[in-house]
Amino acid sequence: MKLVDSIKKDFNTMTLVLIPVAIAINVVIGQIVVLLRLPVYLDSIGTVLVGAICGPWAGALTGTLSNIIWGLLIDPNAFPWFPVALFIGFVSGWCAHFGLFRTWWGVVITGFLVAITAALVSTPIAVYLYGGITASGSSFITAFLLQTGRDLVSAVLSTNFLVEPVDKIATALLAYAIIRGLSRRYLMRFPRAENVTPKKA
Amino acid sequence: MVERLSFYLERNSPLHRLNPTTKLVVAFTLILVAFLGRGLFLPSLIFLLILAPLSFLGQVGREFLRTTLNLLLPLFAFLFVMQSLFYPGGKTVLFGFWIFAVKLEGVRFAFLTATRVLVMVSSFLLLLLTTHPGVLLLDLTQRGLPASVAYILASTLQIIPQMQAKAATILDAQRSRGLDTSGSLGRRIRALLPLVGPLVFGSLVDVEERAIAIEARGFRSSRPKTSLVEIEDRPLERALRWLCLLAFILALGSHLWP
Repeated sequence: MKLVDSIKKDFNTMTLVLIPVAIAINVVIGQIVVLLRLPVYLDSIGTVLVGAICGPWAGALTGTLSNIIWGLLIDPNAFPWFPVALFIGFVSGWCAHFGLFRTWWGVVITGFLVAITAALVSTPIAVYLYGGITASGSSFITAFLLQTGRDLVSAVLSTNFLVEPVDKIATALLAYAIIRGLSRRYLMRFPRAENVTPKKA
Repeated sequence: MVERLSFYLERNSPLHRLNPTTKLVVAFTLILVAFLGRGLFLPSLIFLLILAPLSFLGQVGREFLRTTLNLLLPLFAFLFVMQSLFYPGGKTVLFGFWIFAVKLEGVRFAFLTATRVLVMVSSFLLLLLTTHPGVLLLDLTQRGLPASVAYILASTLQIIPQMQAKAATILDAQRSRGLDTSGSLGRRIRALLPLVGPLVFGSLVDVEERAIAIEARGFRSSRPKTSLVEIEDRPLERALRWLCLLAFILALGSHLWP
């Protein structure tokens, strides 16, 4: 029961109120990025933020609900991708747990690990649901790799490994910048504040 | 930016009166059958014979077809071009031009994938067009969805339009101060921080106050909560949901059958 109790501790009222704001941050920044025509998504900054200061389980819930909201409001195509968002929150939560959110280079490592997880999780979804070709521009790379004689799974996987790191490292760094901008007093109200504040001597 | 709160359209139709969970179950079943079932034309038949007529029964037919097309047309165009040219293992060449060759296997595969995705997106869309998100959440809470999850979803649906309005204000304010949002890539990247910063910090400030406010109103109480709204659930709908389970099992069976 130790696990259940530790999960419950992560979901205090501050966490439950932060999650909707984090999801809204995901959606609205995602739209600003589309507006600015940047070659990234940056639609999981809020998820990484919650993972870092409220723990991996809260991060996973934020990611999952984020995709459900995206599906409800903007495009039902988002629903089947929820496992990707779930793991983004979960992995960034564990990275923060092991102290990777205290320094900027730790955050870069987090972004990289999150990218690898996202690539691994999204590949089967892209292959089985969409036959490997989705609406995003990166499908051109997939098609090119298919032409060079690779099989479908490895083509989609390589594409994801190429595309994800830039997006996810930028996402993690932006989440880190937000945390740096918040006061210590504010951060201490969240269950995993010790993840992002310097260790006590 | 999206101005509306959700896809929901208020109409007085039999589809709107159905229990939200029934509609959710039917949507999931149609999707699973489309993906698991056999036959090249199964998903397209589900769309033409079930989803499209249902949308007209729900008096949302025009919006249903238009939104589906808007959401999926770019994907489909892309899918057909890419798969018909690059589908691995394609042998039967239909016609060729320059260095490209359109292959039958690719076209078949693109058709199957496209119609499956069509069923997936359009059945969710039909659910969303005919069901108020609040009613769906309430019904799911009464069936055992944790109240905290329902709170998060309902609260998010309210926060997003506020935040979009805030983002629009910040965008206008920064543009009027000379922020370049349409120049070269470097300039557009530099425009990101002045837009994101004020938006995020402004929204995070509200969090603490809201937490105190809802705690003072018994948010953490574990007692069962009563509801003002009653949602109808007829025996016929319960039967329909069992029928959906049966359809799913049949589809799964046909999928696993050698």
